Amino acid sequence: MPIEDVFSSRGRVKILRILAEIGELNISEIARRAGLNYTTANQHLEALENSGLVRHKKFGRIRIFCFNEENPRAEIIKRLIDLWTTNKSR
Amino acid sequence: MKITGKPMHPYFSVFKDETKLDINYVPPRLPHRELQLNLLNQFFRFAIESPGKMTQRVLISGKIGTGKTVLSQHFGLNITKEAKERGINLHYIHVNCRECKGSLFMILQRTVLTFYPHFPRRGYSAEELLQMLIQVLDEQNAYLILAIDELEALIRSEGSDPLYNLTRIQEDRIKAPQRLSIVCVLREPEYLDMLDSSTRSTLQRNIIHLEQYSKPQLRDILNDRVSLAFRHGTVSAQIIDLIAELASLEEGDARYAIELLWRAGKYADASASPEVLPENVRKAAVSVYPVVRKDMISSLDLHEKLFLLGIARCFKQTEAAYISMGEAEETYAIVCEEHGEKKRGHTQLWKYLKELSALGIIKTEPSSVGQRGKTTRISLLRVPASDLEQEVSKVLYLKRT
Repeated sequence: MPIEDVFSSRGRVKILRILAEIGELNISEIARRAGLNYTTANQHLEALENSGLVRHKKFGRIRIFCFNEENPRAEIIKRLIDLWTTNKSR
Repeated sequence: MKITGKPMHPYFSVFKDETKLDINYVPPRLPHRELQLNLLNQFFRFAIESPGKMTQRVLISGKIGTGKTVLSQHFGLNITKEAKERGINLHYIHVNCRECKGSLFMILQRTVLTFYPHFPRRGYSAEELLQMLIQVLDEQNAYLILAIDELEALIRSEGSDPLYNLTRIQEDRIKAPQRLSIVCVLREPEYLDMLDSSTRSTLQRNIIHLEQYSKPQLRDILNDRVSLAFRHGTVSAQIIDLIAELASLEEGDARYAIELLWRAGKYADASASPEVLPENVRKAAVSVYPVVRKDMISSLDLHEKLFLLGIARCFKQTEAAYISMGEAEETYAIVCEEHGEKKRGHTQLWKYLKELSALGIIKTEPSSVGQRGKTTRISLLRVPASDLEQEVSKVLYLKRT
């Protein structure tokens, strides 16, 4: 996925921010916090997963999403979000 | 301007750290429970020496205030510390079945939430959740000792299935590491009769029974707590003796002894006394009823509290030793109106009555011969109705603010 496709979507950026803040979360909760509906959140997560930025664990029927720490791009994006949110005032 | 008048005395308290008298505090030493603690450590030695090779199920039984919960928690703290030093990912989780409304689902949910704080709270069954728990443990290469306190509540509401499932979950995983061990804490061993024979036999293999504390033993416990919680020289040996005596009359209930000690300290502070006096203890003794404690009332449902308040008020208004279920329901209806709550139906109230009776707050019996019809007679044995009313109202008020 080209970089502009990640950052041009408000929904994807919101999802990445939520995962950076919380760590691990299921789809319904991600959708609720991002103000998206389930299907949209699911589609964004699928795209992000295909690009290797996020990954999921499966517990029975439940999927828990988190940043894919093994991917250097994911790590850098997470650090960027952390930096952005902690240094809000500067 | 010159300020005149008496100089203000700084506030003096007999307490050094009253949190050491809190019900949830786990002291560094458990006097007169060393043997049982050793036994528990021996049962779980494998968790440190060869984790994953086997699991254990232990039952701790004993009357109220004999140190069951604190024994289990103390053991939990020690073993997880030792495991950490050895690089073993061992967790000890203590859940109270009464707080979980006797539901296996809630017990497991609390457990899973300690591993994944944002795990979805609904959408699966207790059996699925149990599988998920094992999966979580596998994923994190973790081992778990799950302490199930007040097991009565779980058996009462769900029978023997939950325990059967918990004790047998690993049997399908012969080659995989064994991850889940269980410590059951039970007050009344009669509840074991409600379990099916296979679950009972699994649990009864390792029983640690705690006898009630004697007076000298209570004295040792109190001495320990006094040195932790009170300033030096504020509690004399005579006071400790008096409290130990009072608690030994209450079937050696150490929790009662500690609450008595705390209240006596509070009375001493209120009267600005530099030390705890026998009069403070006597005052505390009339205000603490061993059968009705704040923690017990707080753990009740809102409507259980309202119903109990109704019962207390009903007894306050009457001189009779017993009231009928109908009378209790009437006062409960008034209490509900007062609190703006919709009243619960007869069957639900009857369930509450059974619950309150099982907790020992009230006593119930079927109506005697000679009375028309059949009803449940309710009696209050040891708590004055006005004090019970006050305690419940206090808890209800705190909840609202």
